[in-house]
Amino acid sequence: MGTWEGLLTGLSFALQPGVLIYCLLGVLLGTFVGVLPGIGAMAAISLLLPITYYISAEAALIMLAGVYYGAQYGGAVASILMRLPGTPQSAVTALDGYPMAREGRAGPALFAAMVSSFAGSIIGIVVLVMLAGWLSRIAVAFGAADYAAMMVLGLVAASTIGSAKPAKGFAMIVLGMLLGCIGTDVNSGAMRYTFGQTELLDGVNLVALAMGLFGVAEVIGNVRDPERQAVARRIGFRQLAPTRDDLKRMAFPTLRGSGLGSFFGALPGTGSTLSSFLSYAMERRIARRPDRFGQGAIEGVAGPEAANNSASITAFVPTLTLGIPGDPIMALMLGALVIHGVQPGPMMLDARPEMFWGLVASFGIGNLLLLILNLPLIGIWVALLRIPFRWLYPAILIFICLGVYSVRGLTYDIVSVAVIGLAGYLLALARFSPALLLLGFVLGPLIETNVRRALLISRGDPMVFIERPISAAFVVAIACLLVLSAVQVVQRRRKGVPVD
Amino acid sequence: MRRDWADIFGGFALASIGVAATGWAWVHYDLGSLRQMGPGAFPVALGLMLTAFGLIVAVPGLRRAGAAMSFEPWAALAVLAAILVFGLGLRPLGLVLASFAGVLVASLPAPHRGWAWRLCLAAIVTVLTLLVFRAGLNMSLPLWPRGL
Repeated sequence: MGTWEGLLTGLSFALQPGVLIYCLLGVLLGTFVGVLPGIGAMAAISLLLPITYYISAEAALIMLAGVYYGAQYGGAVASILMRLPGTPQSAVTALDGYPMAREGRAGPALFAAMVSSFAGSIIGIVVLVMLAGWLSRIAVAFGAADYAAMMVLGLVAASTIGSAKPAKGFAMIVLGMLLGCIGTDVNSGAMRYTFGQTELLDGVNLVALAMGLFGVAEVIGNVRDPERQAVARRIGFRQLAPTRDDLKRMAFPTLRGSGLGSFFGALPGTGSTLSSFLSYAMERRIARRPDRFGQGAIEGVAGPEAANNSASITAFVPTLTLGIPGDPIMALMLGALVIHGVQPGPMMLDARPEMFWGLVASFGIGNLLLLILNLPLIGIWVALLRIPFRWLYPAILIFICLGVYSVRGLTYDIVSVAVIGLAGYLLALARFSPALLLLGFVLGPLIETNVRRALLISRGDPMVFIERPISAAFVVAIACLLVLSAVQVVQRRRKGVPVD
Repeated sequence: MRRDWADIFGGFALASIGVAATGWAWVHYDLGSLRQMGPGAFPVALGLMLTAFGLIVAVPGLRRAGAAMSFEPWAALAVLAAILVFGLGLRPLGLVLASFAGVLVASLPAPHRGWAWRLCLAAIVTVLTLLVFRAGLNMSLPLWPRGL
């Protein structure tokens, strides 16, 4: 199917009222949780997972994706007005957005965040369409060894890049993979780590795991936080207008950020948080007056916002064309698809054109909705910032319980959410990343299947991972990453820089 | 002497999970060969790796100061209790009483005094739950205690 034909199919699918409503619901809910401190996109997507049982796989994917990129719009609002990033991706936005708001320029900062997010998404969509077609043609040649090596690369990249203590990341990934082993072994039918509990035969429930780690743990961590005040109490549509100088300063950072984000988003294991940090660093380096950064430079808002939005779109490339999620949120998306019996892979573009092209079209529609809704609705989002967390979290907890109960109707699952939530809270206290655990949990079984298949084909010869050119390239990349991060850790120790 | 308790506790806890997982898999599951891996091969390998990474995290923490952890035992206890009250109460008590009680327990550690807002919140959340899960999603759940 050609690109234009595909886009038309996608548009006509995504514009059906029954699908459009989920797109709208997704982006609104995403903005909502992005604005609210204390719950992020991960928690919202895990909360929605059980609800997707009631709708088609395509609509589910469109809605969950809407929550993801909608949360980034919302996260920027909280970052700029309260220096309290609603999502990790928008942490960078606070660096210059918050100083702008304190100078009384909250309006232009919000405008810059929204418009550059929109531009970044559109560029991301173009890159997604080009890359997906190309990659799914190549991916047909991928064998089991190549898949396994690529997934390991994704895991290594996710735990080393931008991390001061890679060992903690690795530990989380391995723990996640171990949890992924629980249940019936697909190859032999043996039951692993089930300890006689029939509820565990299908493995740890993804919905319970995600809700415990991201819903319950985040709630516990935020319950006793003192309530914060936003800098600007009321912002209307009128105050958003930027000056001509603002517009000129925004243009190139937005373009550069989008390019950077589209590239890093598509790589496995990097993703949107890294792209927004990189974009900020790049803008500061090439700026004529780097001293303005941190004091309210609009470039520092526009670039990272464009970067994280384009990255969140291109992150779907490996997920949809290879069936390999590059970051934890994509792992949840993949989980949602698997729940619906859809296994993404190179064939999906042809086998389920509505799914791929419908999603692509929904990105465009959703971002347009966000832009035209959020500019006039900004007053409402700002008002939402003032809702204290104590009014929200009891409801979140009840919804988590009912959501996880609705999947199988088992009280067992509610109790396991409590246990997982406690574990997740303790892990977060000790500064271990629960997101990496989830990534390992989803990728672990896939890696195991592919490694076992590759070794079966090669008659037990482990050289198969270096003999095949594709997998050899991934192995080299893994080795480079490991060496690089080891060097960094040693350097940091020598300098005596406090880690963390 | 100050130590990095986060890394020490976390690392040793993970290492002991690793040891347990390796041991259990070693004893109970077939390892197989490289050519035909058994169900035990991956768990054993992962367990060993977890042990190693756990120790790599924990041991340096013994000789270095770390940032303090802000453990909130009451928040954790109340949230977990709320989930258990709701979860275990759902079938015998019905949706209405279970949500009401769950919200009340959950709201205990919130940094705001008084009972009026807690009761009010519990009522609102109960109504919302009924609207979303009973009316909206049509889940079959008992509303009231059995026998009523």
